[in-house]
Parts: sequence; C-alpha cells; structure tokens
Amino acid sequence: MIHVCALAELPRGTARRLPLSPPVSVFHTEDGELYAIDDTCTHQDASLADGWLEGCEVECPLHAAIFDLRTGEPDGLLAREPVRTHRVVVEADAVYVVLAGHDALEAAS
Amino acid sequence: MTAAHSALGHSAPGQPAPGHPALDEHPPPGQPGLGQQSLIRTLPGSAYTDVPVFAAEQERIFERSWTCVALAADLAAPGAFRTVTVGRESVVLVRGRDGVVRAFLNVCRHRGARLCTEESGQLRRNLQCPYHAWTYDLAGKLVAAPNLTSMPDVGRDEYGLLAVHLREWLGYVWICLAPEPPSFEEDVLGEVVTRLGDITAIESYGIEHLALGRRITYDVAANWKLIVENFMECYHCATIHPELTEVLPEFADGYAAQYYVGHGAEFGADIAGFTVDGSAGAERLPGVSADQDRRYYAITIKPQVFVNLVPDHVIVHRMTPLAPDRTVVECDWLFARDVVAAGRDLGPSVELFHRVNAQDFAACERTQPAMSSRAYRDGGVLVPSEHHIGQFHSWVAERLA
Repeated sequence: MIHVCALAELPRGTARRLPLSPPVSVFHTEDGELYAIDDTCTHQDASLADGWLEGCEVECPLHAAIFDLRTGEPDGLLAREPVRTHRVVVEADAVYVVLAGHDALEAAS
Repeated sequence: MTAAHSALGHSAPGQPAPGHPALDEHPPPGQPGLGQQSLIRTLPGSAYTDVPVFAAEQERIFERSWTCVALAADLAAPGAFRTVTVGRESVVLVRGRDGVVRAFLNVCRHRGARLCTEESGQLRRNLQCPYHAWTYDLAGKLVAAPNLTSMPDVGRDEYGLLAVHLREWLGYVWICLAPEPPSFEEDVLGEVVTRLGDITAIESYGIEHLALGRRITYDVAANWKLIVENFMECYHCATIHPELTEVLPEFADGYAAQYYVGHGAEFGADIAGFTVDGSAGAERLPGVSADQDRRYYAITIKPQVFVNLVPDHVIVHRMTPLAPDRTVVECDWLFARDVVAAGRDLGPSVELFHRVNAQDFAACERTQPAMSSRAYRDGGVLVPSEHHIGQFHSWVAERLA
C-alpha cells in the first residue's frame, strides 16, 4: 500500500496526484467516495487531477475527455483508451492506494 | 452633443489652460472677455488624421487612464466573459467562480496567441488558448497545459495571465492598463465632483441599481477628439438638435448654462419628461432630489465616458478609438429595474438621445474628411462659447508631451 495523505488533507471535491511512474491520482468526490486512477489523460499528456470532478467522473482540463472514476473508461469522444483504476484504502484516517495488479501480489506474499 | 455641452464645458472650471480664458469669469454668451480675442485656434488638422499622433494617444492617454469598458451586468454569471479594446491592447474581462470580475491581457503566455476571439460569451470551465491548449482558470492562473506535469519548474502563477487593474463603479467595470494606475478618486470621481460639485449628487441616481433598457452601438467615422469636442459645446445645438432644444430650451442659447458647478439644464415648461416628444417618461428614480427633478445633468469623464442624468433614467456613452478616423461609441440607456422588467415602452425616452447621437455623429463624420484638407492645415477656430475646448486640447497636449 502506498500512503497518500491524511484523509483531512483531501477534502471532498479535490484530488491528490502521486508522482509515481506512471502518476496516479486519488479523487474524493462530493458524495464522499474515494477513487484512484492513472493521472494522465490517454488523449494527450495532461493531469486529470487538474481537471473537473463531477460525480463519479473527471473531465480532462485540456480537451474535456471524461473518464469514469469507477471503471477508468473514457467517454470515447477524444480519449479512446481507458485509464487504470486502483484500490483506495482508508485506515486510521489515512488514505492509501493499492496499485492495480498489486492486490494479487500482496495476497500471495 | 448634449451630454457634453453641459458636460466638459461645465466641468471646465478650475485652472484655465494657458492661453484660454477662465470659465469662472466668463463673459456674457457670445462675447469675448475684455482684452480677449473672439476666436482662438483649434488643433491643426493633422492631430485628427496622423497615425503617429493617434498611436501616441493610444499609448499615453488610453493605456494610462482609467477607462470604462463594460456594464458589470454584462458579465452576469461566473464564466461570463467579454473582450474589449483599450489603446492597442485586447483585454478579456471574466467573472470568476467567486463572483469577482477580473481583467487580463488577452494574450497566451506561451506563444502569444489571442485567447478569446469572440466579443462575449460564456466559458464552460476555463480560459483556454485555442493554439496549444494552455489553460487558465478564471482567476488567471495556469492550471493545465500539455506535458505541464513533466515541467515541474514552470510556475503556474508566474505563467498566469497578466492582470489589469480593475474597479467597479456606477455598475460599470473600469480598467487601467498602467502598471501604476492614476488615482481613481482624482481622475474619475474628481470629474464628477468638478461637474456636479458633490459626489452624492450622482449617487442619488443609484446608477449601480439600474438595469439596461437599451444599448446602441455607433461606429463613427471620426477621430475621438472630434466627438469629445462636439460633446463640449452647445453652439451647434439650435442648428442640429431640434428635439433636444425643445426639451431643454436653454440649450438653444449655445451655452447650456454650463458654467455653474452643479447646474442642470431645466426642462421646458410644457415638457413632461426627457422624451423625444416631451411626453412623460418613467417615474422619477427614488433617490433623485427635488432640485434634481426636471433637469438634465451631464458629466464628461476623460478620456472616453459621458454620463447623462435625467430624473427617470441615465445614459452612459463609452468610446473606443480604433483608428485616427474611427471611433466606436456604445450608448447605454439605464432605467429602474422594475421599469425594464415590466417591459414598459422605453421608445420615446431612447429615441430622444438616439437622435441626438445620430445628429452629433453625423456632424463629426462630416468634419473628419476635412481634417486632411489644405483648408484646415492650421486648424480652425473656436468662438467664445467654445473656448473651453482649448482646455481639452491642453489636457491632450500635456499627456502627449
């Protein structure tokens, strides 16, 4: 698990970008849900954490490609490829991310 | 035109320009003062046609003064924008998500493309350059750009849009492009005090609470100074403004009783309202005092605003010089909100000053071509009731010096 920040440091309606390779962002929706996806828009290199968070979707700030935070699927107008989704864990008021593919590794270890 | 007959002419008291008579000790209308010549010179014709002169005016007058560029209500909701021209610059006005109106030079910080090319509109999210998609929030900060995250050394405030000084007053947005703007209180409010004697005299009209009833834009083929000069004198009133002199009989004297601070031209005895046919207009605005009733006041706020006050509405002219021989004038007729909301017939009220505008601008357009004539190489002359125009010429000359 990768520590992101204290939950209090990620208010609803905001996002936090992790400078991993590739970068990952955690979004806290207005409804109180937490989601993590790859941060880079699959249409052109832009940070989705700088985009517009509405419901369970984020809109890229550059060309308005929209990704579903739950599935990583794009709206298909500009961005055709999905972004990866990652699992968010909250423990003791801290936010963590488990990167896609790492659940199995952790379970095996 | 009327506005200025009483406007600048009236706002002229104070220090007379060198070589021009003090208006406080003005002679009877139509006669020069003791020892004064009847006729004094205007500017030479070249001042109205030369490209270098115009460029200097753009730089030293319009880019350094407070200029009135929009009605705040034109930017109704967050994301509403307008592009305006001030001097040689394009400026974008935008209302932020916090409700605050801001002004920025309309230039992308990346490679200089013009950000907003439309005159007005509604931004969905951000201000985005159509060239490489550099994207700025409504407060001007750079929020996104292709590959920006791989350029962590790029300061998002440092490469934000360049902000322009802004004030809101009378429900209008005023901006100044100068890095260090002149005092708004002295340059803008001061013109009102000079003309009306007291800032409360304009506040009583509650202009910031009025609504836009009508806007007409005039594209005038004349130098901006001809338009100001025309506003400043009423020597032409009896000749070209029959409707106006019917409503304000004293304007027929050519002086418009504009020498006394705080004087408004009185409606004729048989005039019910400031309308094209003298019929009653809307109800008197709630704050307008009894001594302001049935009177017309006008203020010129140099270099590009004329404010006209009548009991039931306010008319505001804003000028944008675009070339030595081209000036766009936007004229707003503002009425009480309930009058506009009720869909009352504003026609007779609007028609009066629309005719005055059309008459004045036609006169200016008739004059412009002659500015390059051999006959006007050394300029023309000002009669005594126009001598105060010399103060405006001095004001211009001081700024170009």
